[in-house]
Amino acid sequence: MKKETLFYLLPLPLAFISIFIGPSETITPSDVYNWLYSKIFHGTPADSEHMQIVETVVFDIRLPRIITAFLVGAALTTSGASLQAMIRNPLVDPYLLGLSSGAAFGAALAMTSLNLPVQLSAFIFGLFAVGLTYFLAFRRGEISIISMILSGVIVSGIFTSFLTIIQFLTDPFKLQGIIYWIMGNLHNSSWNGVKSMTLPIIIGALWLFLIRWRLNVISLGDLETRTVGYNPALLKLMILIPATLIASASVAVAGIIGMVGLAVPHMIRMMIGYDNKRVIPVSFVFGGTFLLLVDNLSRTVSQFEIPIGIFTTLIGGPFFIYLLKRLRHGYGD
Amino acid sequence: MNALYAKGLSFGYNGNRLLRDIYFEIKDRSFVVLLGRNGCGKSTLLKLMAGILKPQSGMIRVYGEDINAMSFSKRAKLVGFLAQSHNTVFPYSVQEVVITGRAPYIFYSHTKKDRQKAIEAMERVGIISLKDKSYNQLSGGERQLVMIARVLAQEPKIILFDEPLTFLDIYNQIQFFSLIRNLLSDNMTIIMVIHDLITALKLDADYIMLSGGGIAASGSKDIFTRENIRKVFNIDCDIDDKSGEYVLTPLQACRT
Amino acid sequence: MAFFAAMSPFIMIKESLNLGNTIIMKYLISISLFLILICPAISYSTAKEIKVTDFRGKELSFNKPVIRIVCLIESALSAIYMLGQEKNVIAVSTNVYTGDVFRYYAALDERIKNKTLPTPGNWDFVNIESVVALKPDVVIIWSKQTETIKSLEERGIPVFGVFINRFEDVYREIKELGKLTGSEKRANEIIRYNKNELNNFQKRIQKIPEAARKKAYFMWAQGNLNTSCRESSVNDLLLLAGCRNVCSSLPDEHIVVSMERIIKWNPDIIIMWQNAKTDPADIISDVRWRTINAVKQRMVYELPEVFLYDLWTLKFQYAVKMVAKWAYPEHFKDIDMGVERDRMLNALYYNKLKGSGL
Repeated sequence: MKKETLFYLLPLPLAFISIFIGPSETITPSDVYNWLYSKIFHGTPADSEHMQIVETVVFDIRLPRIITAFLVGAALTTSGASLQAMIRNPLVDPYLLGLSSGAAFGAALAMTSLNLPVQLSAFIFGLFAVGLTYFLAFRRGEISIISMILSGVIVSGIFTSFLTIIQFLTDPFKLQGIIYWIMGNLHNSSWNGVKSMTLPIIIGALWLFLIRWRLNVISLGDLETRTVGYNPALLKLMILIPATLIASASVAVAGIIGMVGLAVPHMIRMMIGYDNKRVIPVSFVFGGTFLLLVDNLSRTVSQFEIPIGIFTTLIGGPFFIYLLKRLRHGYGD
Repeated sequence: MNALYAKGLSFGYNGNRLLRDIYFEIKDRSFVVLLGRNGCGKSTLLKLMAGILKPQSGMIRVYGEDINAMSFSKRAKLVGFLAQSHNTVFPYSVQEVVITGRAPYIFYSHTKKDRQKAIEAMERVGIISLKDKSYNQLSGGERQLVMIARVLAQEPKIILFDEPLTFLDIYNQIQFFSLIRNLLSDNMTIIMVIHDLITALKLDADYIMLSGGGIAASGSKDIFTRENIRKVFNIDCDIDDKSGEYVLTPLQACRT
Repeated sequence: MAFFAAMSPFIMIKESLNLGNTIIMKYLISISLFLILICPAISYSTAKEIKVTDFRGKELSFNKPVIRIVCLIESALSAIYMLGQEKNVIAVSTNVYTGDVFRYYAALDERIKNKTLPTPGNWDFVNIESVVALKPDVVIIWSKQTETIKSLEERGIPVFGVFINRFEDVYREIKELGKLTGSEKRANEIIRYNKNELNNFQKRIQKIPEAARKKAYFMWAQGNLNTSCRESSVNDLLLLAGCRNVCSSLPDEHIVVSMERIIKWNPDIIIMWQNAKTDPADIISDVRWRTINAVKQRMVYELPEVFLYDLWTLKFQYAVKMVAKWAYPEHFKDIDMGVERDRMLNALYYNKLKGSGL
C-alpha cells in the first residue's frame, strides 16, 4: 500500500462522522442516526417537529458546512501548492498575488455601492487583482519571479488602500459585514455557497491535476523549463489561471482563511515527498480533510463561533513545527 | 548535412552589440568547442544556438529549420542545453529531476518508458546510486552530473554544454569526456563552451574562437597559431609541436 | 459678560440718583462701589471648576463650560443637539454627512445642510492635524480609539471618550455632557422625560402575562449569527419591550453564535438591526431558518433607520416601543408610531424637526 493511500481514504468517513458533530444539545448523535436510518431505509419524510429540526440541522446546516469546509481547504491547499512550485518560493500563499485584497475590496464594493452579490463581486475582483499582478510582471514575453512577487505586493497595497477609502467614505452601518468577511468564516455556509463554488473548484482542481507534473519542471527554473520544451511564461499562466480560480471561488464563499494555503502544502510535502505528481492530488484531499477536521473542532470546542482562521493557525501551527523539526532535508541549499 | 547553421547573427544586451554578423556551420555528428575570453559572448552564442535567446538579426537553422520558428517541444527534441550551474528550492529526488528531461515527450505525466529512459541516463552518467537522494543535498559536481543525466534523458540530437567542467573534479572530468566520446559514437553533435585553453587543446574537436564580437578563427587544431592566440586571448605563448602534439605554454599577458 | 454684570448695579444707581434721596444715594453708592471692588472676586469664586468623568474613567476639568466641541461620534452629537448646544459644535463625524442620518441633521443645523461644518474624522479614522487646527476645547470620540486619544492628549487637547454599552450609559453620557456644556438643567429635563415615557410604557408591558412573553433574537448587520447577549443595550431593549433575549445566558456584548444554537433557542421573534444586504424576507425564505418559530410566524422585523431607532441616545425608548408593538401587536394597537415619533422628536430636539417633513 502506498503511503498516501490513507489520505484518499480519509475524507469520506470523516465527512460521515462530521454529520454527527455539532454544538446543539437538542440534537444528539442518536437523533442524527435515527434520521439517517429512516431516510435511507424507509425514505419517510421527517414527520415529527423534532425530526424536522434534525433534518434542517443535518441537511441544511451541517452538510453544506462540511462540504464548504472540505472544498475551501482543498482549493486553498491545491492553489498554494501550485503557486509555491510555480513561484519557486515556499513562503507563497494564494493571497500573495493580490487575490485576498482584491476580493476584500470587491466584497466591500458590493456591500456599499455595487448592485452585485458580495460573493460574485469578491470573485471577480480577486481574479482581476491577480490578472493585474500578472500583467504588471509581464515583460518581453517573460514573467520574472521577483517582478511577480513585487507586483503582487503593489497590487495588494493598492486594493487595500481602495478598501480603506471605501471604509472612510461610506456609511459604517453598510460595511459592518466586511470585518467578519475578512477574518474568514465557515459558519454562514449554505447550499447556495456550495453551489456557487463547486464548479470553479472542480474545473480548476482538475486542470491543475492534469498539468501537475509540469509543476516539477517549472519549479526547476525558467531556463530549465524552456530547454526541455515548455514555454515558461505560458506554463505559468496555465498554472496561475486555475490556481487563482479555485482560490477566488473559496475566498468568495468563506472569506479570507489564513494558514491553509501556506502551511498545508508543506505538511503534505514533508509527509509524502516533493513530487508534485503526488503532492497536487493529496493537496486536494488532505487540504479538505485538514480544514474539515479543524472546523469540527471549532464547532464543538466553543460556545460560540470563532473565525476559523484562528483555529487553522492554532492547530496547523504546532503540527507544522513538529513536521519541520522532524524533517531531514530542507528547502534551498 | 549541417546540424547547425547560422547566418548574419547579431545580438546585444541593452543596445551594446555583443555579437556581430556571425556566420558558421556545424556539421552533424561533430564535436565543437567554443573558445574565447570572459565576456566575449561564448555563452550568449550558445544560448542563441539553443533558442533561449532570440537573435536581433540573422538566423539559426537546426537541421535546416529556423530554431526560432519551431515549437518549444520540437526544439527540445533536437537541442539540449546544459547551464553552468543550477539550484532548486524544492528538494526533489535525483530521479524526479532527471525525469523532467523527458518533458518534450510528456503531456500529462511520465510513463514507464520515461522512467526507464531516466534510469538509463543515470546509469550512463554513473549516478544511479544517487537516484533517491535529495538533489539539494548534492555537491555542485554531483548536481552537474544530474543535469547531464537530465539532458541525456531528453534525447536531443545536439547537446550544448556551457562550461561543463566548472564543478567537476579530475575523476569526473575524465568520466565526462569518456561520456562525450560515447555520445559522439552514438551520432550526437556536441558543442561546448570551455574557457580553459589547455583542456580544450587536449580534446579531439573542432574549434571556434570568438573575439571582438565575431569569429576570429575556426577549424581544427591548426588554428592554434601564436597570432590567433594572441588575438583571441591576449597572451603570448610558446607552441611546441614537435611530438605531433600541441603543447601550449602561456608566457605572459600582453600589454594593451 | 462678567464686566456687564458688574456694571449693571452702577447704571441702576445712576438712575436712582435722579430720584433725589441723598442718604440712600450715598449708601447705595458706597455699596455699589464695594460691589464693584469685590465683584471680580465673587465672579472668580462662583466660576467653579467643571469636573466630568468620561467613559474611560478619566476625569477632565474645565474652568468654564466648553464652547468649541469637536464631536466625532454621532450618538454624542445627537445628545449635544438635544441639550441645545449645537452652536458650540465646531466639527462633526464624516458619517453625519452620509447615510440616513444626514437629512435629520440637515434639518437641525444649517451648517450641516450646507456641509460647511468641518469633518476631521469618524469612529475609525481621525485627522489629528485638522482636529488640532480647530483648537477645540474638547474632542468627543469613541473611547476605543486609543491611538487617536493618545496623540490628541499629547498635544494638550482634552478628550472625552464615550462608550455606550447599556441604556444606563446613555443617562450618564447626557449628564456628563450637560455638565461639560453648562446645560445640566436641560440634561435632567430630557432624562426625566425619557424615564417618564419608559415608566408609563412599562406599566402597560407589565400587563402582558409572563406566559405570553416572547423569546427574541437580535441580529446585527455584520452577519445573521451576530448578536448581543446579557450585558448589552440590546438586552435592555428586548427586556424593556417585554421580551426575553434568547442568549441572555451568556454575558457577551457581541458574539457570533452558531446556527444550530439559534435553532435550539427557537426564538418567537427576530429583530434585525438596519441591514443593507439582508431583509426579513431573506431570513424567512432561508431553509436554515425554516424550523424557527419566528420564521414560521413571519415575526421577523428590521429596525428601519438608525437615527430614529438607535440604542445609544435617549431615542432608545422609541425602539423599545417599536419592538413591543411588533412582539405584541394586540396589546399596543392604540400606539401610533408616527405620533410617538413626532412627540419624541419635539421633546428632544426643541421642535426643530417639526414640519421638516421627516
